[in-house]
Amino acid sequence: MTMPLTPVWFIALPLLLAFASPLWVRLRLLMPLLVGTPAALLALALGLLPAVRTAPLLETIVIAPPLGIHLQLDSASWLLVALINFAGVVVGAFLWLGETEPYLRERRAFILILLLIAGCNGMVLTGDLFNLYVFLEIAGVSAYALSALRRDAPALEAGLKYLIIGSVAAIFFLFAVVLIYLQTGNLSLAAVARGFSEIPGPMQMLIGLLMLIGLGIKTELFPFNFWVPDIYQGSHPAVASLYSGILVKAFLFVLFHLVFLFLADPGVAGAWLMGLGAITMLVAETVALRQEDLRRMLAYSSLGQIGLITLALGFGVESTTAGGLFHMVNHTLVKLLLFLTAAILLRSFVSARIADFAGAGRARPLAGALFVLGALAVMGLPPLSGFASKLWILKGFAEAGVFWPVALILLAALIEAGYYFRWIKVLYEPRTEVAIEPSEGRWAYLPIGVVAGLIVLLGVAPFLVDDLFIEGARSLLDRTATLVAVLGAGS
Amino acid sequence: MSLILKLFFFAVSLSPTALLMGWDGHLTWTLLDGVGLSLTLTPLAAFFLLLLALAAPLVALPMLRRPADWPSLALYAALLAGMQLLLLAGDFVSFFIGWEIMTWSSYLLLLRSPRTEMATSQSYILFNLASAFLLLAGIMVFYGLTGSFDIRPLVGPTQPQQLALALLFGLAFLIKVGTLPLHIWVPRSYDEAPDIFSAFLSAAISKMGVYGMILLLTLFPEALTGLYGRLLNGPAAGYLLAWVGVITAIVATYKAISQEDMKRLLAYSSIAQVGYITTAVGVGSSLALGGALYLALVHTLVKLLLFISVAGIVLQTGQRRFNDLGRLIERMPISFFGVLIGIIGLAGMPPLPGFAAKYLVFVSLVDARWLLLLAAMILSSTAAFIYCYKLIYAPFLGHANSAGAREAKEAPWPYLVPQVILMALLFGLGVFPGFAIEVLIDPVLTALRMAPLGGSSWAVLTTAYGGYDGVVLMSVFVTAFVLVTGLFLLLRGRMRRAGSPYDLSYAGEVPTEETPLHYGAGMGRELRRIPLVGWILRHSSQGFYLGLTRQMRAAAGLLGGFYAGNPQTWILLAVVVFAVVLGLQAVTGGI
Amino acid sequence: MHAILDSLAMIGVSYIMGFLFYGFYRQLNARVQRRWGPSIWQNFFDNMKFFFKSETLVHGPMFFFGPMIIMAGAFTTVLFVPFLKDSNWLQGYSQYGNLILIIYLLVVGPLGNALAVGSSGNPFGVMGVTRGLTRLMGLEVPFFLGLGLVMLQHETTSVHAIMAAQDGLAHWGIVTNPIAFCVILLPFIASQNGSPFDVVGAPVEVYAGPRVEFGGRLLGVLMTQNMMMSIAKLVLVTDLFLGGATNILVLILKAFALFVLTTAVSMVFPRLRTEQAVDFFWKVPLGLGVLGVILTVWLPWSA
Repeated sequence: MTMPLTPVWFIALPLLLAFASPLWVRLRLLMPLLVGTPAALLALALGLLPAVRTAPLLETIVIAPPLGIHLQLDSASWLLVALINFAGVVVGAFLWLGETEPYLRERRAFILILLLIAGCNGMVLTGDLFNLYVFLEIAGVSAYALSALRRDAPALEAGLKYLIIGSVAAIFFLFAVVLIYLQTGNLSLAAVARGFSEIPGPMQMLIGLLMLIGLGIKTELFPFNFWVPDIYQGSHPAVASLYSGILVKAFLFVLFHLVFLFLADPGVAGAWLMGLGAITMLVAETVALRQEDLRRMLAYSSLGQIGLITLALGFGVESTTAGGLFHMVNHTLVKLLLFLTAAILLRSFVSARIADFAGAGRARPLAGALFVLGALAVMGLPPLSGFASKLWILKGFAEAGVFWPVALILLAALIEAGYYFRWIKVLYEPRTEVAIEPSEGRWAYLPIGVVAGLIVLLGVAPFLVDDLFIEGARSLLDRTATLVAVLGAGS
Repeated sequence: MSLILKLFFFAVSLSPTALLMGWDGHLTWTLLDGVGLSLTLTPLAAFFLLLLALAAPLVALPMLRRPADWPSLALYAALLAGMQLLLLAGDFVSFFIGWEIMTWSSYLLLLRSPRTEMATSQSYILFNLASAFLLLAGIMVFYGLTGSFDIRPLVGPTQPQQLALALLFGLAFLIKVGTLPLHIWVPRSYDEAPDIFSAFLSAAISKMGVYGMILLLTLFPEALTGLYGRLLNGPAAGYLLAWVGVITAIVATYKAISQEDMKRLLAYSSIAQVGYITTAVGVGSSLALGGALYLALVHTLVKLLLFISVAGIVLQTGQRRFNDLGRLIERMPISFFGVLIGIIGLAGMPPLPGFAAKYLVFVSLVDARWLLLLAAMILSSTAAFIYCYKLIYAPFLGHANSAGAREAKEAPWPYLVPQVILMALLFGLGVFPGFAIEVLIDPVLTALRMAPLGGSSWAVLTTAYGGYDGVVLMSVFVTAFVLVTGLFLLLRGRMRRAGSPYDLSYAGEVPTEETPLHYGAGMGRELRRIPLVGWILRHSSQGFYLGLTRQMRAAAGLLGGFYAGNPQTWILLAVVVFAVVLGLQAVTGGI
Repeated sequence: MHAILDSLAMIGVSYIMGFLFYGFYRQLNARVQRRWGPSIWQNFFDNMKFFFKSETLVHGPMFFFGPMIIMAGAFTTVLFVPFLKDSNWLQGYSQYGNLILIIYLLVVGPLGNALAVGSSGNPFGVMGVTRGLTRLMGLEVPFFLGLGLVMLQHETTSVHAIMAAQDGLAHWGIVTNPIAFCVILLPFIASQNGSPFDVVGAPVEVYAGPRVEFGGRLLGVLMTQNMMMSIAKLVLVTDLFLGGATNILVLILKAFALFVLTTAVSMVFPRLRTEQAVDFFWKVPLGLGVLGVILTVWLPWSA
């Protein structure tokens, strides 16, 4: 911690500020800090970008790897860090400017959100398994508590359910970590990766399975994602946007980071993940067809997109991986947009059921338009960013001559259209005369507008950022480079 | 402010015209790693851009009437931008982007109508997205084959490759043009869309499917012949396509006859007309493609004219069903002429250009020796007379059947100006059938490396099978008409206007106001007694799609059962999966 | 000048042939029914009587213009059918047209008149129009298929070229392409509004024809155009199947023979209802036409 600008700030700053929260309450700085912290981290990430693009940044804490603890900021994790902090800024700004419910503007929410950001940053950056577990728990615990913040029955129920299922996931993951430690005697990711191939086959299998279930629950893959809709429905949409926008993305990144790092030949695991991703995508999109609750519908749509990203990343080819990372970013943007718009609509129309939304788009034209924009982007319609990333993924599959994922992705997109357009139609239903409440909190549209602008910009000119994703994909896929960087050339 | 915005919007609607006049170049725009957009204007695209340039301002004009619906105007601008991108596309990515922008912006425009139902909007967007995604799948296959997104002929494709491409692209475009059995979204959406926008849907947007079909032919080195060889004197694969088109035309014509709503009738008639175009594309010879393009041109003009006239009627009377209208000829004379010219063009009667287009297609069928198709096409184009007559009789002739129809005034000028322009265009093209051939169609045919059709002058339409002279035809007819009318009026005797509309020879009775005298929607009902027609009218593909929807919902319900909120189940499932996989592993691999 | 004289001549010839043929038809019909019947000139007298009626009732402008359109259509049709071959006379403007155009021109007039019928506001008139259009839909399919066979045989749509190809009895269309002639014969009768396909204007318990509201001079116009149109159709079929004619006498002879043939068919059969007629056309003549297509186009010896 000698250098002023190092990756460690991504974890340290939010933690420090969160624990010093009593101070900020006094100074009435809660809200400015909630926005300012991720904003500062985002600025830091941008400042580090040139350095990261030349070589991964390694931050050793106390002792050098393989024994010590270290943080690793390479092109891939940079993307995630930037994304997480950007989402933090947006949600923070929304809570501040949007005059949201008071319980989200208090000290507890402040602490929990910053902890969530710190945990996600940590998971993405950390270079050893034990810290990975620790950050996973930090992020998890703050997420459970965020769900339960509202203190009414649905919220508490959601929080409790989340706690239970999250703990189970953590246990599976912990088992895997223990087994790895027993087998290799190491916890540093790079060292484990080097020794992983020497673990006997069945044990590899067992570890893999434990990991898969533990992280599968966290990343919301198909047979393990039945908890998701309940939690998303019970939480405030702004909180749900954090889950869908950053928490899941961090876990997904961890999952694939581990897969590509540990396995010299990720073919089999990749195929498993592709299969799971495809099933997740199709099942979630199908189930979403019948959802009558906006938040629940968005939750299923989120699952579907996660499935798509898993499918793309599992293929392990540079262009699908780059597309997958890009889609991760896009999906975060879109879900921020949709959930925050949903928050605005929910405040005006009380109920989240489809029947009560009839004509909402005509009563709240701006919110309606933003919802439509988000829906178009999530379905991957041009000229919005979802299209660019989907095209990239499809192109990757086509280049490789593998067409079944193309067919499935397009089929899923069609089913997805089936329910999103149903909502859009209801939003513009002409018949009802909706009671228009005085629209307070115009500023709430500012962060959403920024996100919408980004979605359009990335859709029209994705070439501005495509290098970042290609480099990210390379560093995610290139196992030896990581090993060399961490352990030295001799390893 | 509002005026400036409106002027700006009108300027936007003229952008296709400007593009058509001013574009000479090539524009590229990098999208992603290895994906670039390249924009260029081919002669084929220029032809369809011309159709767009005709339709865009004429539809924009009535849209500007007060009170303007600003979201509609913005969406219309997006729609135009998308369609221009689609037409300028030199590569499939820009083609697809344009296609999709067109799809969603037209969908959102459809929602602006207060009459749109959920089933309509859902079928519109799902069919169109299915079309778009099939297109995208085809593009991916194309990319897999060539390694590039550029639109250019394949080099030495094998038959399975051609078949895959033809199926994916073909289905995509057939959905867009709305051939049987993929047409189910068309009548609903044309009917329930905002009245003016229906004109654009039918006139311009459906033509993009035609553009796609012709573009598809250019991808294959031997067009459709390369697929399954030749049948008689045309491509065997095209024979199938041609039958699809003709059957579409026949069924849609009978459905049109049985409609009781003006816009729905026009919608079915659009399906039928596009069916003819599909047939012509299937024949694929130079004559047939010329005919297809000609039909597309005429259909654009005619459907613009008819939909705008009908929109005027609906605006002024508030009625859209045949039973509720009548006797508007005296109240809306210009609209009457609009519809009259429109149906003459629609029915393909000489001397309007509809005949020239049909003539080319008929001759191309004779040339291909596909006489059964010729007979089937005659069936639908003769049956079309009935709905054409219904379309002019029920609103304009007979007896006024509602207060709205009795008190209507002529439509406002933003509706009339486009009608007058379109009538003039149709009339001009009818007198000079060779003009469209020589100036508009021949460049396309030449670019497609086919024999041009142009004749010695703009007045004549010539083919190897003979032709006709539009100027002579028109002058003979007009002279005869003037002569006959003049002579008639010179004869001794006087004309007396009937004392009342009920002064009729009504089977020996004296009809009163209560007597149902308007034949309206009843027209064509007795056609059901003809076995074939009755069979067609009794059947519909709607049940299939409803069943599909039901099945999807059932599947959604079944799968949704997993997501019941019960943490024990979730954990149990996780553990069970864990155990089962381990168990399987133990059995197969052995731990 | 030549064109004008020629046109007038054609119109005159078709009118004279028209009322004479129909007069003959009435005579023959009466004799078959063992009546004396009217004189052969009766149609002409009837026609003139209508033209000099002193009063005509109209139901609005369109009602007046409909008969004018149908008359102009009849003139145009007549002028686009070549009456003679290898001659400068009685050609009209036929070199500027073709077979398909003539088929469509035959329909232009009746459709114009249908507007007038609708304008009258009499539902029985409109019912008649609908029946007429339905019958048209039925008959056009086999009719056009038969003509398609002819067009394919000669690889042209020009009536002149088809006529020119039939030099000598052995090359007459009826000899070289008998199936096509059989296919078009019955639809041709229907297009002449001949029995048994004459339900459109037939006297039934409620008069329901397109002409129900017309009277006076307007009815005269309708009658005139009907006679001229019939002659145009007869001449057209003569041109296509009977080798055309080199002079007016041969033309009258051939057209008359054809007329007698169709009349004979008409007199034997009872009237069909509209849907029966349509169904009949789609079964028998169309079936024959399909057979013809299979025999002459599909099977190997035809290539």
